[in-house]
Amino acid sequence: MTEKIPQSSENWSSRSVGANWQHRFFYFLIRLGGRRIAYPFLYPVVLYYLIFRPDQRLKSRYYLDRRFPGHTGFAALKDSYRMIISLSQSLVDRALVGICGPEILKTEFPRGDELFNLAAAGRGLIILTTHVGCWQAAMIYLSKLKRPVHMLMQQDEGDIDRHYFEHKGEKNPFHIIDPTGFLGGTVEMVAALKKGDVVCIMGDRLKGAQENSLAVDFLGAPVKFPLAAWKLAAVTGAPLAILFPLKTGPDSYRIDLAEIIELDRKDARPLQRLKPYLIRYVQTLEKLCAKEPYQFFNFYDMWEQNLE
Amino acid sequence: MKNNNLSEQLKKIIIEELNLEDIEASGINDDDPLFGDEGLGLDSLDAVELVVLIQKHFGVEIKDMEEGKVALASISSLVDFINNHKKD
Repeated sequence: MTEKIPQSSENWSSRSVGANWQHRFFYFLIRLGGRRIAYPFLYPVVLYYLIFRPDQRLKSRYYLDRRFPGHTGFAALKDSYRMIISLSQSLVDRALVGICGPEILKTEFPRGDELFNLAAAGRGLIILTTHVGCWQAAMIYLSKLKRPVHMLMQQDEGDIDRHYFEHKGEKNPFHIIDPTGFLGGTVEMVAALKKGDVVCIMGDRLKGAQENSLAVDFLGAPVKFPLAAWKLAAVTGAPLAILFPLKTGPDSYRIDLAEIIELDRKDARPLQRLKPYLIRYVQTLEKLCAKEPYQFFNFYDMWEQNLE
Repeated sequence: MKNNNLSEQLKKIIIEELNLEDIEASGINDDDPLFGDEGLGLDSLDAVELVVLIQKHFGVEIKDMEEGKVALASISSLVDFINNHKKD
């Protein structure tokens, strides 16, 4: 029986569990010798958190208990270790890109042309992102799109984790829309899409109003997923592209354009009309979790939301 | 008089297009907040539609958050925004 700690999406924070000096230490290692020097130091650090910080280990169990219901004891511990290692490597890769430049990672984007063409068409484009793999690998491609890119992104005060562009003191190539701002940033997102710009929204984590969500079965039980991206797609007519940036090797990533979905204006209301599209996304996410179980990074209880 | 017509038109559009049940135009005060627990009680997803509806019916765009904050406060602020931005 897994010990439970209260952890909902509402009290989830983007703040790193590591101290500032720990981050700086890894930045130093990366500058010293890149991934080859930094990665080996991750193993004892992750082991420390796994053994001496049960609160952190338990955060991985919400998802892993659903993904591997039969795993207990050592198998469960091994799952947590692999998932936290995978997250840590993606954080190192994020810093690696910032410090050494994007060419340090070999990133494939098999359907990249389709995404570039969609963005260039000027109808607006919604990129539905997920807490999967390493977003920094995809961000470099997104910065090459021939339209301005807006990201709905919350960065908590005191968050010491740096984005890749911050390592070189570069200007953020994206416009950040704060989901905690006026009406959840929806006015800004509509304005951007109406101009033909690109808007990136995370599709797997509900922040803010619970009523702006629908429950869909994910790994065997209902989870509330946010609807903003789907509503925007229906109302503005902008296509919605589901993108997963996956780690495929020590220094390689592949960006999967999993689906391109177009909604109709009539799908905007009532909200239940959005459900079939949401189910398509969740099924795509389930397939990904089946193939890459340790690359889905949600460390809170997605299933314990109020489903009334 | 012109503002009154615009105000009534806006209320009608909001009620019909946002499917507000049990609300009549006469029951909406021009200065009531559109969003939040008080007033009309619209939410952020309603805002998505409202911004597009304003553009569709009146040809004016709410271009950013600052404009949105001012324009979407109430029916009367929307009337002012439309009057100030409409191209005659």
